[in-house]
Amino acid sequence: MTSDQTETAPAPDLSSTIWSEVDRALAGITARPEKAVLDLVVYIPRDEVIEGLRRLKKDEGLAFDYLRSLTAVDLEEEGMEVVYHLYSTTKRLNVTVKASLPNDDLTIDTATTVWKAANWLERETAEMFGIRFNGHPDPRTLLMPEDMTDTFPLRKSHPLAEIEVLQGEGMGYSEEGE
Amino acid sequence: MTADLFGLELNVWADAAIRLVLIVTLMTVVVMGLIYLERKIIARFNQRIGPQRTGPFGLLQSVADALKLVGKEDLRPRSADAWTFELGPYFIFIPVFLGFVIVPFVADWHIRLLDLGLLYFIAASSLSIIGWVMAGWGSDNRYAMIGALRAAAQGISYELPLVLALVAVGIYAGTFNLGEMIAQQDVVPFIVWQPMAALIFFIAALAELNRTPFDIPVGESEVVGGPFVEYSGIRWSMFFLAEYAALFIMSLVFSAVFLGGFLWPFGDDLGRLFQAALTTAKAGLFFFVVVWIRISVPRLRIDQLMSYSWKVLLPLALVQVLVNGLVLVNGWSEVILLAFGLVGVAVLATVTGRAVAAPRIRPGAARRPLAPAPAHGEAAS
Amino acid sequence: MVTEHAQEFETQDLLLNVGPQHPSTHGVFRMVLSVDGEVVRDVVPYIGYLHRGAEKLCETMDYRQGIGFMDRTEYLAAFNAELSYVMAVEALAELEVPERAQWIRMILCELNRLSSHFMFLGAFGIDVGVFATPFIYAWREREELIDLFEEVSGDRMMYAYFRPGGLAWDVPRNFKDRVRQVLKSARQGVADFNHLLTENEIFLARTRGVGAISAAEAIEWGMSGPSIRASGVPLDVRKDEPYLKYDQVDFDVIVGQNGDVYDRYYCRLMEMHESIKIVEQCLDKMPDSGPIMPEKMPRMLRTAPGEVYIRTEAPRGEYGIYLVSKGGNRPYRLKVRSACISNLQALKDMSVGQYVADAIIVLGSIDIVLSEVDR
Repeated sequence: MTSDQTETAPAPDLSSTIWSEVDRALAGITARPEKAVLDLVVYIPRDEVIEGLRRLKKDEGLAFDYLRSLTAVDLEEEGMEVVYHLYSTTKRLNVTVKASLPNDDLTIDTATTVWKAANWLERETAEMFGIRFNGHPDPRTLLMPEDMTDTFPLRKSHPLAEIEVLQGEGMGYSEEGE
Repeated sequence: MTADLFGLELNVWADAAIRLVLIVTLMTVVVMGLIYLERKIIARFNQRIGPQRTGPFGLLQSVADALKLVGKEDLRPRSADAWTFELGPYFIFIPVFLGFVIVPFVADWHIRLLDLGLLYFIAASSLSIIGWVMAGWGSDNRYAMIGALRAAAQGISYELPLVLALVAVGIYAGTFNLGEMIAQQDVVPFIVWQPMAALIFFIAALAELNRTPFDIPVGESEVVGGPFVEYSGIRWSMFFLAEYAALFIMSLVFSAVFLGGFLWPFGDDLGRLFQAALTTAKAGLFFFVVVWIRISVPRLRIDQLMSYSWKVLLPLALVQVLVNGLVLVNGWSEVILLAFGLVGVAVLATVTGRAVAAPRIRPGAARRPLAPAPAHGEAAS
Repeated sequence: MVTEHAQEFETQDLLLNVGPQHPSTHGVFRMVLSVDGEVVRDVVPYIGYLHRGAEKLCETMDYRQGIGFMDRTEYLAAFNAELSYVMAVEALAELEVPERAQWIRMILCELNRLSSHFMFLGAFGIDVGVFATPFIYAWREREELIDLFEEVSGDRMMYAYFRPGGLAWDVPRNFKDRVRQVLKSARQGVADFNHLLTENEIFLARTRGVGAISAAEAIEWGMSGPSIRASGVPLDVRKDEPYLKYDQVDFDVIVGQNGDVYDRYYCRLMEMHESIKIVEQCLDKMPDSGPIMPEKMPRMLRTAPGEVYIRTEAPRGEYGIYLVSKGGNRPYRLKVRSACISNLQALKDMSVGQYVADAIIVLGSIDIVLSEVDR
């Protein structure tokens, strides 16, 4: 409820977003807004994020009944962020909800209790990043082989093989674009 | 004893042997020709050309296919039941050949016109269902088993309308001998007096032949072969040949029973060759319509197929038999048969259209009512 | 077919593996059906056979190199895939796309929708059982469209034609005439399919009432595209959040009623009419000359730090790109929101209680392309 702003950046201009309604719906939950290029981003601590999502879904004025996407971003030292993109089919509103996870405790509650669509999306996020979703009904691997449960490819620490440039230097395929 | 074969007097056994060999050779060649024709016809319907490079106009395509199949390795799954697996194709193939005994091609060109010709034909051809089940079970493969059971259910269900349609015509003609039936059709073919029986026979024949729209045994999840999925090489080619040979036989029987065979409309005057051409034309018409249907319609699901046979075709076939009997016993005019037949065809067409268009409510999956886009979703479990 | 008497027997469900190699699974997809006689009791899908790590690879690619990857995540609708990606990059780099490029993009995306739906009709015809005719019709129509795409971009399927800011090069001079030619044949093709399948009684019997899903369930599962519009939900990104020039053309959103297989097929068929309408309007409104890239394109494309989620309406549903950038010329995190994986989640709900043959048709009607599911 406290619109927390970082000390160094100027206060984001949220007047064109739906922050006021989101704020009202998330009464009692710590939420910090930011404005991304298109949508409003709301940061909610991970203990309260599922409750926040449920409130956003049930709220009459917002009605975010459609989970567009669920994924994670590996921010290296700052931990990982689980990102939820929500959409309201009736009101045509968008919002992005983010929850931060520290690197030493990558667990969060499952969102399948709120939308069924979270099922496979969480499976994929879990196997790619190593995040554990507590209470997920079916925590098997989705895209990865069943026996590779200890490899998390999308983490920044997971190495990608050095790409060999097999064309000649004359093609100009260097770091500097084309 | 001697028998007359093309003017030669031969020992009966030799005569039988020669006729059999001739028929078998003829049949193999004709079947290969039918496979080629089907591919060409389908191609033309699809705006393609079909086989065109092997030989002139692609005529040697079937020969090339046969050579390839003969040269393939004969595989047998290790866990397949050896006897059942290997005997299955024979049990499908041989009854079809048995059916050729009673079919009259031209005036004297047949093996033996039995008095119980049609009955023999039906009895012999229904043996091939055993072969399907043997092939499916012997393959030790779930898809094969499912396909075989579907084939058995379908084959048995559609036997009844098929037989009853032929019995109806037999009642009308007073004989099961195909030669005498043809002789009785020198003025008017039986299709005029028995149009509904002809249509029922046509539909049931499609099902017996496992052709679209009744090809779900061989369309197991669409194209995975059904009971034939584990067969390769020459065994598989036996299935293929059996299917087309059965198609050929059904065409000949249809043209003999309903279209007047080699006699109508030109009678006995114009010579053997012309009669052979006439038979070919009539059988060819049946074949063309079968292929036409194949490339135009989707296939029916097994429950729709079964309910169609038991609930639509069988009652109408019984009614046809009843009406035939009534007309003959009371000596009424044959025009009644024509009128009833046309009414019956109309009824069949209407009922068919309505039966397949009505959506089925399945147990446990009743159509859910359209919920308006909700303001809140319900809390999922 | 399973009556009350059958409960007296102790039966065991048959596990039928519709395996990765199968003519009807539209790519490498595996589902294990638990079958009781002919009725499906459970469906367990297995995916991941085509996972190529597109998201991770794009993190090491320059923005322009990533376009080729986006093509390959949805090869049947490659223009739409590229479009989402370049729009995301443009949003972060604050590039303004010139007008002519936007119209051309729109035309190509709609034509790609046509070719993708033709592919669906062909494959769906085979699933339903018509032997070869719908497939050949579909391929005939696709050849016309793909020839046009080859003239424009040089490639038949993986175009790599859009660039952040506009297009790679201008279209050929006879573009408008060629598009009109292609539209004529496409219209005929759609009419052919309509005549072949829509009123066919056997087709209706196979597809009506099969695999139904209600609107509420579809929204809950996050479905999109024609699969959800068939259930009665008018969800179309082109109308709800217009991008390119979709707010300047006039078209209808096709919405079905029952959400069964027939409605999904019919929605796609009618959408093809709408696409043709859109392309015709675009041809009229498109300027005949003009720039296709902004004036001041930097030699190396760098984006400001930030994140954006761009969604567009691909033929299969909502294709979204979530792009996180920390500055520089590479994405920090690229997430492809695939429509097919969300649609595929609902497969179990749609198939349980139907017959085996219906399960195949339901899978066909969702119209998945595995490269998008697996990325």
